[in-house]
Amino acid sequence: MSHAVEIQNLVYRVKKAFTLQDLSLKVPTGSIYGFLGPNGSGKTTTIRLLLGLLRPASGSITVLGHPIPADAPGALRRIGYVPEAPHLDPTMSVTEAIWFHSRFYPTWDAVWAGRLVKDFELDPKRLFGKLSKGQKGKLMILLALAQRPELLVLDEPTDGLDPVVRRDMLSAVLDYVSQHDATVFISSHLIHELERICDWVGVMDNGRLVADVEMERFKTGMKRLKVSHGPANTSALPFRVLTRTPVGSNGSEMWLVRDWSPEMAPSVAAAGGELQQIIDLDLEDGFVELLRSFRVPKTTEVTNV
Amino acid sequence: MFKAILYQQWKWTRLIVALGTVVAFTIPIFSLSSSGADLDHRAAAVFLGHVQGWGVFYPTLAGTLGVLVAIGLWAPDHRGRHVYSLALPIPRWRYVALRYLAGLTLLAAPVAALALGAVIASATASLPVGLHSYPIGLAFRFTLAILVAFTLFFAVSSGTARTAATILGTVAGLVVVQVLLSATGSQLNILMPIANALLTAPGPFAIFTGRWMLIDV
Repeated sequence: MSHAVEIQNLVYRVKKAFTLQDLSLKVPTGSIYGFLGPNGSGKTTTIRLLLGLLRPASGSITVLGHPIPADAPGALRRIGYVPEAPHLDPTMSVTEAIWFHSRFYPTWDAVWAGRLVKDFELDPKRLFGKLSKGQKGKLMILLALAQRPELLVLDEPTDGLDPVVRRDMLSAVLDYVSQHDATVFISSHLIHELERICDWVGVMDNGRLVADVEMERFKTGMKRLKVSHGPANTSALPFRVLTRTPVGSNGSEMWLVRDWSPEMAPSVAAAGGELQQIIDLDLEDGFVELLRSFRVPKTTEVTNV
Repeated sequence: MFKAILYQQWKWTRLIVALGTVVAFTIPIFSLSSSGADLDHRAAAVFLGHVQGWGVFYPTLAGTLGVLVAIGLWAPDHRGRHVYSLALPIPRWRYVALRYLAGLTLLAAPVAALALGAVIASATASLPVGLHSYPIGLAFRFTLAILVAFTLFFAVSSGTARTAATILGTVAGLVVVQVLLSATGSQLNILMPIANALLTAPGPFAIFTGRWMLIDV
């Protein structure tokens, strides 16, 4: 499997306030990779590092085969980037902003850009500074798509937008991806939105990547198991027990597990426990529980992911 | 790319550049308004004083234009916290060079206007015997002055707010130290050597000092 983005042992520090710790991550070519995490977890910093906007303390980054930051311009020619907040010149009209942007991209598709202006119902003469938040978001997506990128890097592109605008923008992205086999790296904390479109998911928390798996495996593999007489040591089990919490007074426990599949049920009995109930988690529940498992006090057992 | 950057710079600095161009054209014209071939020795000296008085406006205009255009060049990037510009697919040095060249191109307008104004004023003025006009020399000096001011403030403006704060903080710190020294009755003057180093040749601001004369002996 080839990878559009490869990050190895990346370390980045902002004084003492924040650190990306030994981050390793691979984004399969052609995938839609959802980059999840709470605010301040390091999503935007990671994105800026992989675009060469920031310089890491150590580690390596390769994007579309280009080493970053050494050959950031080479990679950026093939990347469509939508930043967290729109940063275009507010004194430029929509037409001027499109023209300015197009001068830097040899693969610019002017015809398609024109079509997107109509599809997104953008007023070509309106100044960027006078556009609504939704219109600004649409223009940023337009600029990223019309340069015909091989990799789209979207940093919370729909944050704060209404559902109609969000849907318009994501459909445009999905149309493009389906036609051009592009890779998408999209960060968001709108979990349900990513659940619909992503086939791979990475979860950040406090500068660490705490999960990096296929979406389906993440969704089906995260469960809550109600177990009685569970074994003290769970390391021999074929799935990972992230947390175990006592339930009631009869020795039952609620386990939060990863990498679960139904055929593993007998392994609990084989270890001396009794599996009483399997509770499904949707992506949001799984995400919340996963983060919670990394933040629980030391008294509760946590298995590294 | 250059065309795009130049267009953006024009949008941000056009008022400054347009106004500066008009002023640059008119200063030489007004400075020679009281000329006359029949001026006696005494009147010619007064006329030279009048020309010298107008001479203050050349370095002032050069410095003001250089500073304002340099600041205007980086304004769109500062407002966007440089995220958009850094994500453009060109090396940073090239982006900076394009911005710098765009600024120089815009400043060519007031420089050309001053040269034109100086040549027209010199050609149409009747000068007393013994006085000569130096329009090309004046325009050349104006060009150098504007280049120094622009380059220096372009470099300062291209940095972060922290860089600008460090520079301004250093200057303010020196002034405060000098005030404290004076207050304690010390004869030590730390500002004067710095001012001399900057304002006298070969200091970078020496170009702004001295007499700026379109007409001289």
